[in-house]
Amino acid sequence: MAHPSQLGFQDAASPVMEELLHFHDHTLMIVFLISTLVLYIIVAMVTTKLTNKFILDSQEIEIIWTLLPAMILILIALPSLRILYLMDEINDPHLTIKAMGHQWYWSYEYTDYEDLGFDSYMVPTQDLTPGQFRLLETDHRMVIPVDSPIRVLVSADDVLHSWAVPSLGIKMDAVPGRLNQTAFITSRPGVFYGQCSEICGANHSFMPIVVEAVPLEHFENWSSLMLEDA
Amino acid sequence: MRKSSAVTKIAVQADSPKLNYKEKDRGSTAMAGEEAAGQNKGFKLLGILDVQRTPCAREAILHGAGGSVAAGMLYFLATSRVRRSFDVGFAGFMLTTLGSWFYCRINNAKLRVQQRVIQEGMRNKVVYEGTVLDPTNKPNAEAPPGPP
Repeated sequence: MAHPSQLGFQDAASPVMEELLHFHDHTLMIVFLISTLVLYIIVAMVTTKLTNKFILDSQEIEIIWTLLPAMILILIALPSLRILYLMDEINDPHLTIKAMGHQWYWSYEYTDYEDLGFDSYMVPTQDLTPGQFRLLETDHRMVIPVDSPIRVLVSADDVLHSWAVPSLGIKMDAVPGRLNQTAFITSRPGVFYGQCSEICGANHSFMPIVVEAVPLEHFENWSSLMLEDA
Repeated sequence: MRKSSAVTKIAVQADSPKLNYKEKDRGSTAMAGEEAAGQNKGFKLLGILDVQRTPCAREAILHGAGGSVAAGMLYFLATSRVRRSFDVGFAGFMLTTLGSWFYCRINNAKLRVQQRVIQEGMRNKVVYEGTVLDPTNKPNAEAPPGPP
């Protein structure tokens, strides 16, 4: 989850998010250099004593400030398009989970092998135990096996919602009557938090998402226990 | 509503301290060769570029600063033009920073690819060990011949 006053991205927990972080660093360095150049030019313009009221054109500088931005844009666009198509790849998922948005909770269905489904409500602040995170914890987490490609089918029951987990680099709109597909692999075990990302009513801020990546054996134990409790 | 005790049991196992990554520790997702960030907040140039936490940023800025000083000084020593020396120095900063940045990023990208190949190989080694797919498995001379 994010720490207080955090501005940057959360640490990556999936290969796609790692790529997004690296692309962000690449683009940010370009932005930083352009900003430095502009700042320098401003200072130079303000402090110069030179004036020339008779400049009409200058072919050389026109060529430079046409070609240079074009090259910079290509330098940004190529990795961007690469990641765009990388994010669309769905490579033989091991598990398919349906995430349904409701007002104001998420429900998850694991129906590949058995009929397992449960609701995921936010834990109210007064019910939190020490160490838990306010407005982020849920009573039931979406548990997944680590290092396995997971497909998530996102939809909604009533109004628009959005299923987002920043550390996995995922955000997918939940549209009533529509199935949106996304896929991810978690690189490491852990607990990853997200929040509904489409305004959906009074409690839009109070329907978080918690994904818990565990070793396969633990996932199998968890799913067996959940089915027994059903 | 299902009981949460079963999930809590599994969650406690999965939430053991070794699995709780601190937000500022990139852990296994760190780039190859990158040290884990400390607890201190990063230093941001112009308020946007975190040179401590962004891989290759610190080296690129330092190289840029060195290149800038070198280029500016050389030009000044050659021409004694102060203002133009600053311009040359700045151009040197831009070029050196860009060059150092891309060189470092390309090398890190190659290391990351190697890291993933090694991880995949280690994972497959565990999976395939002892089977016919194990590349280190030597054929047994006493084993009965297979079907024709």
